[in-house]
Amino acid sequence: MWITGLLNSTLAGPANAVLQAVGFKVEDAAHPWADWLATEILVVVILAALVALLRRSFSVDNPGTVQHTAEMIFAFVKGETNDAIEHHGSRYVPFFGTLFIFILFMNLIGIIPGIEAPTMNPAVPAALAISSFAYYNWAGLREQGILKYLAHFAGPVWWLAPIMIPIEIISHLARLLSLTIRLYANMFAGEQVTLTFLGLTYFVIPSIFMGLHVFVSFLQAFIFMLLSIIYVSQAVAHEH
Amino acid sequence: MPNTDQEPPPRETIIKEKKVTQKTVLLAIAFLLLASPMFAQTPGGGTDWHLPAAYIAMGIASGLCGLGQGKVAASAAEAMARNPGAQAGIRFALIIGLVLIESLALYTLVITYIAK
Repeated sequence: MWITGLLNSTLAGPANAVLQAVGFKVEDAAHPWADWLATEILVVVILAALVALLRRSFSVDNPGTVQHTAEMIFAFVKGETNDAIEHHGSRYVPFFGTLFIFILFMNLIGIIPGIEAPTMNPAVPAALAISSFAYYNWAGLREQGILKYLAHFAGPVWWLAPIMIPIEIISHLARLLSLTIRLYANMFAGEQVTLTFLGLTYFVIPSIFMGLHVFVSFLQAFIFMLLSIIYVSQAVAHEH
Repeated sequence: MPNTDQEPPPRETIIKEKKVTQKTVLLAIAFLLLASPMFAQTPGGGTDWHLPAAYIAMGIASGLCGLGQGKVAASAAEAMARNPGAQAGIRFALIIGLVLIESLALYTLVITYIAK
């Protein structure tokens, strides 16, 4: 991609420095910027431009189309959050909304020929899953305090703790893995299916699979957000 | 009178079904023993089982996933037919169920790519 080439020619030095500072072994020192990273930054720029466009045209009496759409998305995310989290749900809405819109745009930008969706690379869903994992743990720690939150891992009764704690820890780590793999495999498999059918039949038939891929993109973004909501609701749940 | 599902089937049907099952199992074992020349292979120079195992694993995963999702879809359709007022909640449960079961088959796909 030409964006990647541009980034590699201008910012290769700082990228190498950052990678070496973290301890990551750089294979190709001339091209540290990857396609998926450039596309991710492109998605962020597009979203920022959309929001800037939106803010200029905010109006209570005469909302435009973009404002209607944004309100619909916001009402949707807020409704889902308030369904799952009993009180103070609205303080978590920004994170879930960001997750949903970001993943949705990253998935959908792969439909454009010539641009590969960043979520097709396993690093991007892994980063999103790590951020979701960190967020729900932080929300639980903030809401309940460290001791009470860690006491959750022990299960309902104290004498089940030696068996419950490993199981809970493994299941929490499995959440990380499952979030990553679900998003990555859906996007990757969608593209592979389209490519396979392109090799098998005429030019236009695989567009049905691209349609399915669009539907799956929406669904996977929604599911990622919904699972994050469920994990946060489980982390901040007070037993009454 | 048709034989409804409330009462157990008569004794003769049960014995006939058991005999058919026994014959099927013996036939399957006979077919498997048909591959006995395989025991005469010379050891060493093993074939690469990665790809065939990946194909079989993916097939089994997709098949079982299809069964599970079929049950989910059938229950959702029946529930929506019985209770048209609750369609929104049932549709929600349907989508979540389908996605979570789908992800199990996709884990197998990822392992297929890793094992290659």
